[in-house]
Parts: sequence; structure tokens; C-alpha cells
Amino acid sequence: MTYSPAVRDHLLAFADDEHLVGARHTSWIGLGPFLEEDLAFCSIAQDELGHGIGLYGLILDDDVELDAFALLRPAEDYRSCWLAELECTDWNDSLVRHWLYDRAEALRWEALAASPDPAAASLALRAQREESFHLAHAEQFMSRIAGTDSTGRIADSVRRLAPIAAGIWDPTATEDDVLAEGFVTTSSAQLAARWNDLIRADLARWGIDVDWDDAGVVGAQQHRTQRSDGFAAFHADLQRVLAVDTSATW
Amino acid sequence: MHTLATAPATGRTWIDLDDFQSFIDAGGMVEPGDDMPGEYRDEVFRFIEFHANSELMGGLTERDWIPHAPGLRLKQIFLAKTQDEIGHAHLLYMVAADMGVKTRTEMLEDLFAGRSRFHNVFHYQAVTWADQIAIAYLVDAAAFASQRAVFAECTYGPYKRVLKRIVAEEGFHMRHGEEMLLRLATGTDTQRSMFQEALDRWWWPAVQLFGPDSDPDDPLLRWKIKSQRNEDLRAAYVQKYVPLLHGYGFTIPDPELHQDDDGTWHAGPIDWEPLKATMRMGGPDSKRRIDTAARNWADTAWVREALDRRGAGT
Repeated sequence: MTYSPAVRDHLLAFADDEHLVGARHTSWIGLGPFLEEDLAFCSIAQDELGHGIGLYGLILDDDVELDAFALLRPAEDYRSCWLAELECTDWNDSLVRHWLYDRAEALRWEALAASPDPAAASLALRAQREESFHLAHAEQFMSRIAGTDSTGRIADSVRRLAPIAAGIWDPTATEDDVLAEGFVTTSSAQLAARWNDLIRADLARWGIDVDWDDAGVVGAQQHRTQRSDGFAAFHADLQRVLAVDTSATW
Repeated sequence: MHTLATAPATGRTWIDLDDFQSFIDAGGMVEPGDDMPGEYRDEVFRFIEFHANSELMGGLTERDWIPHAPGLRLKQIFLAKTQDEIGHAHLLYMVAADMGVKTRTEMLEDLFAGRSRFHNVFHYQAVTWADQIAIAYLVDAAAFASQRAVFAECTYGPYKRVLKRIVAEEGFHMRHGEEMLLRLATGTDTQRSMFQEALDRWWWPAVQLFGPDSDPDDPLLRWKIKSQRNEDLRAAYVQKYVPLLHGYGFTIPDPELHQDDDGTWHAGPIDWEPLKATMRMGGPDSKRRIDTAARNWADTAWVREALDRRGAGT
């Protein structure tokens, strides 16, 4: 499928987000708070990686190797948001990221499912089935723990991560062209408004009374062309084996 | 009247150990509601707890290289495999907990405090990606052979039923290990060199996974939990894997490895003292692995406590 550079960049942003958040989720395998959660989170990580593979598949030419593209690109060529790149070393951060991200992801797939492009819409429909489970998991876990977390960890994580999560809605530089082409009909700003309403409604329902300051992440990401502070180490970790011998089939 | 909805009021009982042995020898299957002899309960519980611990620690051994997997699909595959291992631990801890000796939490806390044991191979560190492949090829095959030998008879019903699934999944893992090895064996000089180094590290731990020769009167054999002696399983493993690895052009790190006139391969003598030290948490990576798991268990206690409060309605 040949897409315009604007559509390609739009899909790349989503693909990089899915790939990197899936990769970040893998760090919890074996270390969840209990075995059932280990198994659930591992499935979610696999699904997110699968979504990334599907989205990369839409935009890659036949002669471009998926793994080299996904892992060996220069950092400046990624279009991920900082929330997806973020290393969450505490479970509360990882859970809150999961909820904030999947709330947004569901809206992004919904927008893509309405695309007139059959390949993108078909992928979105498949992803939506999995995403409904991810969102249910995030919502149910948050709803069960939010009101009984006497440590305040969940509220702290929401306060710190919600401004970073707003960076999900930092559009690529050419999003206006994507809308003008009719590839999608909903802008990032429109989705951001819905997302904001949804997460605030969730928090109110769970009795978490927190607010947050705009950390300026959306502006700092500069249309997703700037990488976050921890990205270099993350990127090196991702490509550690592939870079040993780039001529090899692993 | 006994219906499916009515649990038996009492389980089966046996007059003494001889009576119980006759039941076992006649092909009997013990169920959790039976009044099984204390000796049987203790031995079988200890064996299943060891198996559960090993599955969990195996998952922790393999997790180290998942973030560095050289491809997105490979990352998914290794995640799925590790998920299987943790899923096996999950099932086995439930079976063990139902025996009424320890709760799942007690078993996990004993493991993280270094009070209970797990397989020798999971006390070692995967140093490179090739170690990950050596684990998939050598260790999964050894574990598969060992577990299949338990499944073959296994007189404790819940364990046998869970093993049916575990053995099936371990079979996939073994095939996956073969495919992954093939990539390295037919790959670049760098890949072949990496695997040879990994083989040098993992051959002996894999061979030792079967344990020292079985005691002449091993109760697990007598009660048909195990169906084969350790030394027989080990010999069959050596017989199968030496020619395969030689066929790929790799060198087995055993200077006394030799072949009889009839073609049978024999490993050199095994010094079991390092194994015993390893099993006492003295292995090369025992401390790091246990410390990581224990620290994480402590760090996430607030999650379990919050959910418990939720469950208690407080």
C-alpha cells in the first residue's frame, strides 16, 4: 500500500507507540504483584507488539525488513510519544500508564476503524477486539485498587503521568494533510478532548481526587520529533542483539 | 444417593503403607479428598513445590533477554514462552496448595527467602542471546524429558491432569528451541561462536538437571510419581543430544565423553558437589535472581494488601 508522506507519518506515530509501549510492558514479565497479573500483563504486551507489527506492515515497502526498521532506525526517525518511551520502574506507574494509554489507544483505533482505507480499517477492527480486553483489564484493576490504596501511590502516579500522557495527542507535523485527504476524520485535538473527559470521569468514579499541571510535554515533543530523556538507553537495549551482527538472521 | 453435585463425604483410606502401596501398584490414582498417608503427601507436595518453583524461576531466567530480542515477533514468541512457564507455576502452586501443607503465598515467600529449592539450571545467568537459545534448546528438552517421565505414571490425580497441559506446552518449547538453534547453527561465524560459548556454559547444567542417580528405594519411584530413574533419563538425553550437537558442528565441553562400540554415548563423570552447592543458593546467579524476585515481591506488597482490603470490604 502506498500512502502519502503525511498518512505514513500518522501511522508511524501509532506504530511506534504500540511497539514501544509493548516493549516497555515486557519488563514486568515475572515481576507482577501476583501470578495472575503477570499472565495478564504479558498477554497485553504481546498484543501491543502485534499491533505495532500490523501498523508497520501497512507502511513498510516490501523490500524493507520489519525488525531492522523497528529497532535500528536513528532515534530522530521515531515518532513515538514520551509516555510510550517512559521506563516505569514501579508497578503503580506501569498500571497508571496502562490505563491512560489504553484509554487513548481505544479512541485511536476507533478513529482508524472509520478510515476509508480498507487495510487500515481492517487492522483497526481486529485490534479493537483485543483492545476491549486491555481496557477492561485496566479499568477493573484501577477501580479495585484506587479506593483502597492507602499509600497514595496511584494518585501520585496519575499526577505525574497524566501530563506526559497528554503527549499522545501531539499530532505529527502534517496531520492537517491527513485530515484533508480524508484518511481519518477526527483530529488529535478532538480525540484528546474525549480522552480528557473519559479519564476525569474514571477518576471521579474511583474517588481519586487529583489534578495536574500541564508539563508542556505536547510542545516539547515538537510533533513527536524529539525523544525523551531515557530513550537512548531504551533504544540501545532494544537493538542490543540485532546490532551484534546486522547481517545475521536471528 | 450420590450425585455429581454431592461431594463424597469421606475420601478413601488405607490401613497402612503396604495397603496404600498395593493400591498404587494396582494402578490407583490418589485424589485430594483421599486420606493419603502423610509420607506420600509430604513427598509429593515437596516434589510439586520444587516443580512450581522451577517453572517460576525458569521464567525469571529467561526474562532477562526478552527486552533485547532481535525482532518484534521473536519478542512476542519469547514472551509467550515465558508466559507459559509462569502459567505452569501458577497451575502447580494451586495443585500444591490444595494438598494443605502450605498456601501459595507461603510457598512464594519461602522461595524468595531462599528456604525452598528450584532446579539447578535456573541458578545460572544467561550471558548472551545465545544462552537464551541454549536454554530453549538444551534446558527445555531436559525439562520436557523429565516432566514427560513424571506424566507417564504420576499417581497424584491433580498433578497428572496439570502435567498433561504442561508437557504439551513444553513440547512446543522444545521445537521452538530446535528452530532457534538452527538459525544460529546455520548462521554467521559470530552466531556460531556465540552458541559454542553458550553450549560451554549450559551443557553440564542441562545434563545435571536430571539430578544424581536415584536412590535404590526412591519413594517417588515406589509411589509411581516418577516413572524412570534419574540416571536413565540422563543417559537417554546424552544419547540424543550429543549426535545432534555434533551434527551441527559444535563441540561438547566434556573431554571424557566417549562412544561405545555399539554407538552408545557416555558422558564423563559428574562432580555433584558444585550442584549441591548451587542448590543451596550458591549458584552463579542465585543471589541476584532471588534478590530481584524478593525485592519485587516486597515492593508490590501494597497492591496485594489493597486488593485484600477491597475483598474484605474495608
